[in-house]
Amino acid sequence: MESREHRLISGRGQYADDLDFPGMAHLVFVGSPHAHARIVRLDVAEAEAVPGVIRVITGADVVEHTHPLPVQANFTSPGWTWRLAEVYAMPADKVRWHGEPVAAVVAEDERTARIAADKIQVEYDPLPVVAGAEDALKPNAPKLYDDWPDNKQVHLKFDFGDPDAAFKEADRVITVSNREGRVTGLPIEGRGCVGHYDRGKGTLTMWGAFQTPYLQRHNIAAAMGLPEARVSINAVDIGGAFGLKIHAWKENVVALASKLTGRYVKWFEPQRDFIVTGPHQRDVSWQGEVAVKNDGTLLGLRATVTHDLGVESTQKGIAALSIFPACSSPCNMYRWKGMHIEGIGAVTNKSFYCAYRGYGKDKGIKFIEAVINRVARELNMTPEAIRFKNFIQPDEFPFKAINNYVLDNGDYPGTLNRALEMVDVDKWRAEQEKGRAGGRHIGIGIVTSIEPAGVAVPNCQMGGLTQARVAICPDGTVEVDSDRTEIGQGSEISHVNIVSGILGCKKEDVYVRPVTSETIGQGPLSSRGAVWPASAVAKAAKQLRAKVDRFAASMFDATVDDIRIADGVIGCGKDTEKQLTFAEFANKAFFFPGPRRLPKEVLLEHEQLLSVTTTWYSPSTPESGSSYTTFCTSADIAVVEVDTETGVTKILKYAHVHDAGTVISKKVIDGQIHGGIVQGIGEALMEELKYDRNGQLLNTSFAEYLIPTAVEAPVIEIAHLVTPSPFSETGAKGMGEAPIIGSKAVILTAVEDALSPFGILVEDSPASPERVRAWVNGSKGDEQ
Amino acid sequence: MKITVHYTINSKACDLEVDAGETLLEALRNRLKLTSVHRSCEEGECGACTVLLNGEPVNSCLMLAAAADGADILTTEGLMRGDQRHPIMDAFVDLHGMQCGFCTPGLLMTGYSLVRKANGGDLDEATIRQSIEGNLCRCTGYMNIVKAIQEAKRRKDAGDWW
Ligand code: FES
Ligand code: FES
Repeated sequence: MESREHRLISGRGQYADDLDFPGMAHLVFVGSPHAHARIVRLDVAEAEAVPGVIRVITGADVVEHTHPLPVQANFTSPGWTWRLAEVYAMPADKVRWHGEPVAAVVAEDERTARIAADKIQVEYDPLPVVAGAEDALKPNAPKLYDDWPDNKQVHLKFDFGDPDAAFKEADRVITVSNREGRVTGLPIEGRGCVGHYDRGKGTLTMWGAFQTPYLQRHNIAAAMGLPEARVSINAVDIGGAFGLKIHAWKENVVALASKLTGRYVKWFEPQRDFIVTGPHQRDVSWQGEVAVKNDGTLLGLRATVTHDLGVESTQKGIAALSIFPACSSPCNMYRWKGMHIEGIGAVTNKSFYCAYRGYGKDKGIKFIEAVINRVARELNMTPEAIRFKNFIQPDEFPFKAINNYVLDNGDYPGTLNRALEMVDVDKWRAEQEKGRAGGRHIGIGIVTSIEPAGVAVPNCQMGGLTQARVAICPDGTVEVDSDRTEIGQGSEISHVNIVSGILGCKKEDVYVRPVTSETIGQGPLSSRGAVWPASAVAKAAKQLRAKVDRFAASMFDATVDDIRIADGVIGCGKDTEKQLTFAEFANKAFFFPGPRRLPKEVLLEHEQLLSVTTTWYSPSTPESGSSYTTFCTSADIAVVEVDTETGVTKILKYAHVHDAGTVISKKVIDGQIHGGIVQGIGEALMEELKYDRNGQLLNTSFAEYLIPTAVEAPVIEIAHLVTPSPFSETGAKGMGEAPIIGSKAVILTAVEDALSPFGILVEDSPASPERVRAWVNGSKGDEQ
Repeated sequence: MKITVHYTINSKACDLEVDAGETLLEALRNRLKLTSVHRSCEEGECGACTVLLNGEPVNSCLMLAAAADGADILTTEGLMRGDQRHPIMDAFVDLHGMQCGFCTPGLLMTGYSLVRKANGGDLDEATIRQSIEGNLCRCTGYMNIVKAIQEAKRRKDAGDWW
């Protein structure tokens, strides 16, 4: 049957913007020009008078007709701070960030809605702006939420292992700091959906760029005050997500608009709105000290990571939740004695924070990788030598790390060794020496990382929900349902490979159905697709295969051990007479003769249907409490050249070695690696959302918020190791976020290496040309 | 104000009434339902809306529908021969040059025009990268897109239809 690829490549994709329904109205949002202000007056009369306008929805309407956005993560623990603010999908009284929507126009067409949106008059009374985390945490800073004592949303404190002993044993303690700029994941397609409230049936149906339909149904139903069973959320083709399309926020306004007008209502977000109204990520600063021995043994870390969260997330608690993995991830893949980590999250007058590829797991790893390379330099060791000294070894798995992660397995030294085979670092180091004499600044970066994948944590909506169904239809085709929405990351290809491999059917006979809220699950986030949904699908396929074997054995009058299935043909031992295609087999099982001729036991066990619905849970989490199940491994080596005049960094070589366990689809994995690496390079060298002191976002389009083009993106060389995970059903490990972690870290450390003659520490990102020039000029140009 | 324009779209002649302020993107998507022409920035920065206008790639979001009067326009739909995929489409599928697929129609158009105009020999990587600089992709890191365009050129040189 026709593949997704064929449909999309021939121009017949159906993305949110392509949705069209009879009598469909269009919705456009109006955003606040102020970062913090009271809404004094909001006049919609002129807008409503524009011909073609159906209705204007204001914050007051939203407060009147909907509930506050539901809590998605809640952690109160003695000694910790954890606060949640009550927010609606649109505010009635106060705006808290530049761009925050205050009204929405519903019109017959989008152009009319846009024209009318310009005619909405809002009078604001500006309030003092909290422009960043540092300001937010000052005593007497203006407060974002009146009922909070201050602007601190989160303060978590962790002791892993024995930090005091680690520092006592140290030969030296090195002070370290680091900062990451604020970024946005920015898929090329914005958010968008169509909502339809059926007044007759009292049901709400939505179609659109929904990354996590099951959770989004819960959250939209809660905000709308509708019984969840009467709400249906359906994912259509999605133009990239990276975590940015898990929202149930503006979507509520679309649902309300349909409820109030009785029409199908469509909203498709312009890119500017996508940038200005978040979600944003990173924007953290680390301060700390690392304890080491003079031989390079890593002992301990004491550090605080402060997050500029912007306003309360529209996914309430989800921004705050990302501080947990930020605090845990510095252990990375090394043996440590102890760590004391504190994670702080401050609210500011910036757009909200939410998931983007990495979700905090990236932050600790990038930080520690920069720290380790600094330690190596101070100890006169190479980056590879210090790693080889501290890696957890292949015979130590499963390894319970001090942060409570249970690392499944891997070959950490082998991964780095493979990368060193790909890049002759000694040759490049010689080149670097030579270059320096002639004023060229070449830098070599090496980092290694694991990626904690497949989140399952308590007290939030990410506790480990997943469901899969694999069924053979009466015509012999196979349908697959799971919660793994196709967002371009290859869910469909992967599921097809898994199911056809286990069932023995033809790949082209497998149809992976679009994900809807009918299938329970958290959806594809935290790289869980290859871990949870893939395991559930594999488990369902195995159970279905057992049924097929059993049914076929009875049809052939043989035993299940005789059944052989390959390439869509079900056979019996060596008997070439006894063969059935899937279509013939299914026809027998369903209709002619149908269930009545199946073995009596099958019927008495109610096992007559060729359909299996099941779930899957991580085998390592229940006993250990590990929040993640698989840990893929990667090593990145980059060689860069920094032009100290222009500040421009050029990537001369990029190698990435990956061990994601069993390879379900090499092209999918390689594609994830390429894309993730280039996103990480964007963060390392160019991407940063810049707010001024008044909370105005200064770069609001692709022209100003630069992401890598084909010209900046390097040629990437990839090699694979395969260490199947004992914890997932297929042996595969989640890997979607690993590439963005390693690439950002490796480019920054390579830039630091290039600039080492100036004594420059790259403690801030992006290392944009302007920033590099400032660093070089700040070092007074003395090459030391 | 309504204006009547005449286009040749995907080899078919068509007369269309458009508004004076309407962009070519809007006319193609909303009036002609050519939804392969994707909308993202609407500011000429992303290339998702790229179509070929008299053989040259343009950002249809920046062009007024009326200004394209008389033009020969090609969109991704027009690269198909019935159900048969154009060789450049095959190359994108075979080399996994597409992930979410949102940037893909734009890249197909830019890639198609580049390959069509290129003579002899392999297209070198730098030329391809420069040519597609205006087409942003957030998923693929461009690696397989570049390879797919190179492969399309090889297939064309090997005599595949174009
Ligand atoms: S939509 Fe036309 S260039 Fe972005
Ligand atoms: S494939 Fe997703 S933007 Fe290019």
